[in-house]
Amino acid sequence: MTENTQVAAQNTNDAARKNEDNARRATVTPAVDIVEDSNGITLWADLPGVSREKLDVKVHDARLTIEAEASLPVPGTVRVHHAELRAPRFVRAFTVSEDFDTTKIDANLSNGVLRLTIPRREQARPRRVEVRAG
Amino acid sequence: MSDFYFSGDVFSELDRMQRQMSSLFGNLPSSMRSSRADAFPRLNIGSTDDAIHIVAFAPGVEPASLDVTVDKGTLTISGERKAQATVEGARTYAKERFTGSFRRVIELPQNADADKVEARYENGTLSITIGKREASKPRAITIQ
Repeated sequence: MTENTQVAAQNTNDAARKNEDNARRATVTPAVDIVEDSNGITLWADLPGVSREKLDVKVHDARLTIEAEASLPVPGTVRVHHAELRAPRFVRAFTVSEDFDTTKIDANLSNGVLRLTIPRREQARPRRVEVRAG
Repeated sequence: MSDFYFSGDVFSELDRMQRQMSSLFGNLPSSMRSSRADAFPRLNIGSTDDAIHIVAFAPGVEPASLDVTVDKGTLTISGERKAQATVEGARTYAKERFTGSFRRVIELPQNADADKVEARYENGTLSITIGKREASKPRAITIQ
C-alpha cells in the first residue's frame, strides 16, 4: 500500500520536473579568461561546437551577456553512454564598468573560442601628467 | 543533435556540486578509474548501430597539434593548447581556461574496428567516428 502511494508521488514529481525543464533549459557556464591592459579589457570564452550564427553577444545597461548554442555534426539518433558536457547551451553574463566603451566591442570567434575586446573610454585611459618646472 | 546531451537540471546541479566538492579535496579523482571532473577536453561518447561517436570539446587547439591514435583497443587524444602571450603590465581577473598539453584515453569496446576511424575538427570540437565490425551489428534473424 505504501509503495503504491510512493510511485504515484514520484510520477507527479517527474511531470513537474519536466515542465520546469521546458521553461528553463539546462545551461553550461563556459570557462573564461579576462585580462585588462591599458587599452581595455579582453575576454576569452570557450564555446566548443558553436558556430557564428548560433552565438549571441548582447550589451544592455552595462550588462554583457554571452549566449551560445553548440551543434554537433552527428547523424541520426545517438545513444549516449557518457557525457561530460551535458547541455548544448552556454550562458554567461558580466557587468562592465563605466570605464569601458561597450559601443566599440570587437568579437571574434575562431575554433570555438570567443575573443571579446572592449576598449577603455578615452577619458578613462591612464595618462601621464606632465609636471612643469616652475 | 540534442540527442547527444543529457538534459535536466537535476543532473547539472549534481554535477556542479560534485565539482565543488572535488575542488575542495584538491581535485583528486574519487576512484582509480574515474577521471577528474574538469578534465580537458571534455568528452561525450555515444553510439549508433553502425558506429561509435566520440566528441571531444577542445576549443582553441591548433588542428595540427591534435593527435588521435588507436592502439591495443584504446583511443588516445592528445595535443596542446597554448596560452596567450601576456602583455606587460596587464592584470588578469579570471583564468579558468585550460592551457598546456593534454591527453585522454578511452577504452574501446571489442567490436570497434580500428581500421574505420574518422576524425574531424570543426568549431573547436573534435568528432571521432569509429566503425563497428560487421559481425557485431544487430540484425534480424528470419524464423523458418
